[in-house]
Amino acid sequence: MIAELGQLSLILAMMASMCLGFYPIVGAIRGEPRLLIMAKPMAFAMFAFTLLAYMALTHAFVTDDFTIKYVANHSNSLLPVYYKYTAVWGGHEGSFLLWMLMLSGWTCAVAIFSRGVPLIMVARVLGVLGAIALGFYLFLILASNPFESLLPYFPVDGRDLNPLLQDIGMIIHPPMLYMGYVGFSVAFAFAIAALMAGRLDSTWARWARPWALAAWGFLTLGITLGSWWAYYELGWGGWWFWDPVENASFMPWLAGTALIHSLAVTEKRKVFKAWTVLLAISAFSLSLLGTFLVRSGIIVSVHSFASDPERGLFILGLLVLVIGCSLALFAMRSSMLKSNSRYQLVSREMMLIGNNVFLTAATIVVLLGTLLPLVHKELGLGSISVGEPFFNQMFTWLIVPFVVLLAMGPMSRWKRQAIGDLKSQLLWAVLLGLVMTALLLTSFERFSMLAVLGTFLVFVIVLTTIQEILLRTNQQINWRNLRKLSRSHWGMVLGHLGFAVTLLGITLTSNFSEEREVRLNIGDSVELQNYQFTFKQVRHIEGPNYSADGGVVTVIRNGEFVTELLAEKRFYPVQRNVMTEAGIDSNLLRDLFVALGDEFTDGSWGLRVYVKPFVLWIWLGAAIMALGALLSIMDKRYRLVCVSKATQAKNIENRQIAGTGADFG
Amino acid sequence: MVKKYLLLFLPLVLFLLLTFFLVKGLFSEARYEVSTQVDRQLPEFSLPDVMDEDQLYTRQVFENQVTLINVWGTWCVTCAIELPFLTSLREQGVRIVGLYFEQDLDPDFGGKSLQQIRTDIRQTLNQLGNPYQFNIFDVNRDYSMDLGVTGAPETFLVDMHGRVLLHHVGDLNERVWQDKFLALYQQAMLEQKNG
Amino acid sequence: MNPRRKKRLLAVTGIVALIAISVSLMLYSLNQNIDLFYTPSEIINGKDGRLPVPGQRLRVGGMVVEGSVEHDQKELAVTFNLVDVGPVVKIIYKGLLPDLFREGQGIVATGKLLDANTIMADEVLAKHDEEYMPPELAEAMKGIRHEKPKQIYDAEGRN
Repeated sequence: MIAELGQLSLILAMMASMCLGFYPIVGAIRGEPRLLIMAKPMAFAMFAFTLLAYMALTHAFVTDDFTIKYVANHSNSLLPVYYKYTAVWGGHEGSFLLWMLMLSGWTCAVAIFSRGVPLIMVARVLGVLGAIALGFYLFLILASNPFESLLPYFPVDGRDLNPLLQDIGMIIHPPMLYMGYVGFSVAFAFAIAALMAGRLDSTWARWARPWALAAWGFLTLGITLGSWWAYYELGWGGWWFWDPVENASFMPWLAGTALIHSLAVTEKRKVFKAWTVLLAISAFSLSLLGTFLVRSGIIVSVHSFASDPERGLFILGLLVLVIGCSLALFAMRSSMLKSNSRYQLVSREMMLIGNNVFLTAATIVVLLGTLLPLVHKELGLGSISVGEPFFNQMFTWLIVPFVVLLAMGPMSRWKRQAIGDLKSQLLWAVLLGLVMTALLLTSFERFSMLAVLGTFLVFVIVLTTIQEILLRTNQQINWRNLRKLSRSHWGMVLGHLGFAVTLLGITLTSNFSEEREVRLNIGDSVELQNYQFTFKQVRHIEGPNYSADGGVVTVIRNGEFVTELLAEKRFYPVQRNVMTEAGIDSNLLRDLFVALGDEFTDGSWGLRVYVKPFVLWIWLGAAIMALGALLSIMDKRYRLVCVSKATQAKNIENRQIAGTGADFG
Repeated sequence: MVKKYLLLFLPLVLFLLLTFFLVKGLFSEARYEVSTQVDRQLPEFSLPDVMDEDQLYTRQVFENQVTLINVWGTWCVTCAIELPFLTSLREQGVRIVGLYFEQDLDPDFGGKSLQQIRTDIRQTLNQLGNPYQFNIFDVNRDYSMDLGVTGAPETFLVDMHGRVLLHHVGDLNERVWQDKFLALYQQAMLEQKNG
Repeated sequence: MNPRRKKRLLAVTGIVALIAISVSLMLYSLNQNIDLFYTPSEIINGKDGRLPVPGQRLRVGGMVVEGSVEHDQKELAVTFNLVDVGPVVKIIYKGLLPDLFREGQGIVATGKLLDANTIMADEVLAKHDEEYMPPELAEAMKGIRHEKPKQIYDAEGRN
């Protein structure tokens, strides 16, 4: 009964999206306010019905309704109840429903928080979002219906959730990631709406900026959680694998990072207009492409979902429609754009162009590395894989000029910056940075050129960021001066510092980690970086839906007890899967990591033992970046816009409605 | 001006090029044909009885008698559901032979021993009814592969010449029996009586 | 040429040169890091008429031959044979095998070719999926073998 209700809500949501994608757009073209007014209620309706459908599916999971195929495939009566809530997005159909919930949620948010934006613009934006949503609702209902019934013959129990997904990291990772992916649809919709209106001034950038920042923040968190999850759940001790699924989320992030920087320039300086629009389109297109790559199984990854060519074709069709149309619109409309501001070769504008160039290059590197195997194979040249070293090498090359720009950019002026004025600051940063690098790296036993480079870059970022604050507060750091800086300024500072923290984590972990795979008998021990790991015992553990061997390892350093780690090897009988659950002791300076391997015939066990310095910083830095995005969104400027524009809005609206006929003429 | 236009259309062109590869990639993925054995002779085999490894069966056991071959396992939930119906078929005189395969026979993972499997089978059949004349043990799962089995339960209808008349994927119940099997089964029985 | 045009020309040349350099760097790096995929038969008989050379980095995918997995008595090292439809190659791997490594299952190993039929692997992958068969291998074996019994569970309520 509830399942049928869910199905019905889904159809109603689709109808709402149909109205939303049609009437407001027509209204904008014809200049009919009556049609424009429909946009917001339709957006609310779309969200409400999607939420209802989502709740119905959740209900089916919690009540073990195995008459629904999706539930039978992804749950089990023995599954702990909190995992039943998360199992809702454990498979293809449900995760798409979640995707849609997010999309309609963002649409709804735009409808609520856009009072300062003229109605005709809001109508266009919501219309674009509605049209996108319509495509995906059709996909959901026709090709991957989560409410498909198994009646009249249904199983007594379900097949259980993939044990990989039975984990706290997996509970929050996909929703965050989807929030980010889908969030870029708003910036995209603003860009398209601006293209449709033919009014690509800086206003659309101001409207779109907080939305892009929000999406970027979520995506940052989503990727971070995914990386953290892979680190302790896959049992390989790695935190990034350049796996196609990871790359799929990394590409929109890179494009999104370029977008938030470029939006800032467009908003403040009215330059790079066409470029910013292209970035807004790219960020969302890459999100869609990511979804497609993961969902169609076209690229084989260690953790991609099951493939089905029909579904893949459907998504691909949507992809072509959305991206193709928007790129065509871009090509036709943006030729009218002309920047009239002038700036010199050394100026903040140029630094930001540089930032965009390098981020775009990074995106292309990832795109190439991800898709080249596919293209190579389809050209009949045989199967290949692009190894991790390619990505690592390319990113090492890209990061140096990128950081140089990052160091100078915030300090330099718009239009023109005399390079001499920055000399003293940069010199200080370089010298102090070298000293600090030397100090930090002497605490490690090994030497590595890459570590020196990475650490030095980190200190340069930190020091120049501090100098930038000094510059803005007239060299007087006190509470009052600091408060004067805008929230979005602090957002930028946090973003850059977070990047530095992540970079430090990556540098130190990559260069100073020690890992060993050993074969130990009970009682044996192995020593890494003064930590003595002793293999105490293996005990049997019975979980709610699994049984496990738990290897107990104690760690002693310089005669002092540090911790006891429990590394499990779990067996999930329903799915017949084996999972490694690593034992990790984590603090800011280092992680101790033990994973249990197989038992050998003589009773000894294979063990994987790692000491990873500063690995936590990778994720910590990302969290700081996301916090920076949050601060920027809360900037007064965006709220002021709402208030001051509210009165003007009506006038603009009327004028625009009168002028819309010409927009498309 | 033309140059500018070309530049602006570049993203679109690149994307369309990419699409071409994506479409191609989507369909070039390797997939197997599930071989259907319908209208063909059963492949040769020599496999033991699941309860007694000394008892070997070959294709001859399917000759001169119309038979249902039912692929099953105790680990398969749906198989358990169809057992009572199959038992009722046996009571009506239908000859049913089980093709048993076990997923748990995996020493690396502390799987079940043959002894345990036999106990399980006995228990299941006592509880839900035993429709089988005997059970052929598909030790390495290769005979089910030869038959094109993709899971369990699946059922084959074989005529008196050892020819497959019907391959049904999924559970066998009253409805499926009436719709799909009955007519063919009766025809095959008629031939058996006359031949 | 007036100074402005000269400046512009300089800028354009600079950009073009930069792009050219970065593209060639990227291609160079790619060339170094592409691992070609082979099946065991292709390693022995050659792929498109060319045999892989010892020392070459490559990826190989095949089914682990039943009964061929041998663990070293003292160390972690393990050797096993890999096969598709023809000859067998031997893989040496020093490390922990992935959770889903089993005899008879499809795996992909990345590593270096030691001699004509031995590979020193530095990575062995088995997918986190019970019925994983590397797609490249599936391609090579298309039409030769049936699919392994799949645990699918479709509309008809199968298990």
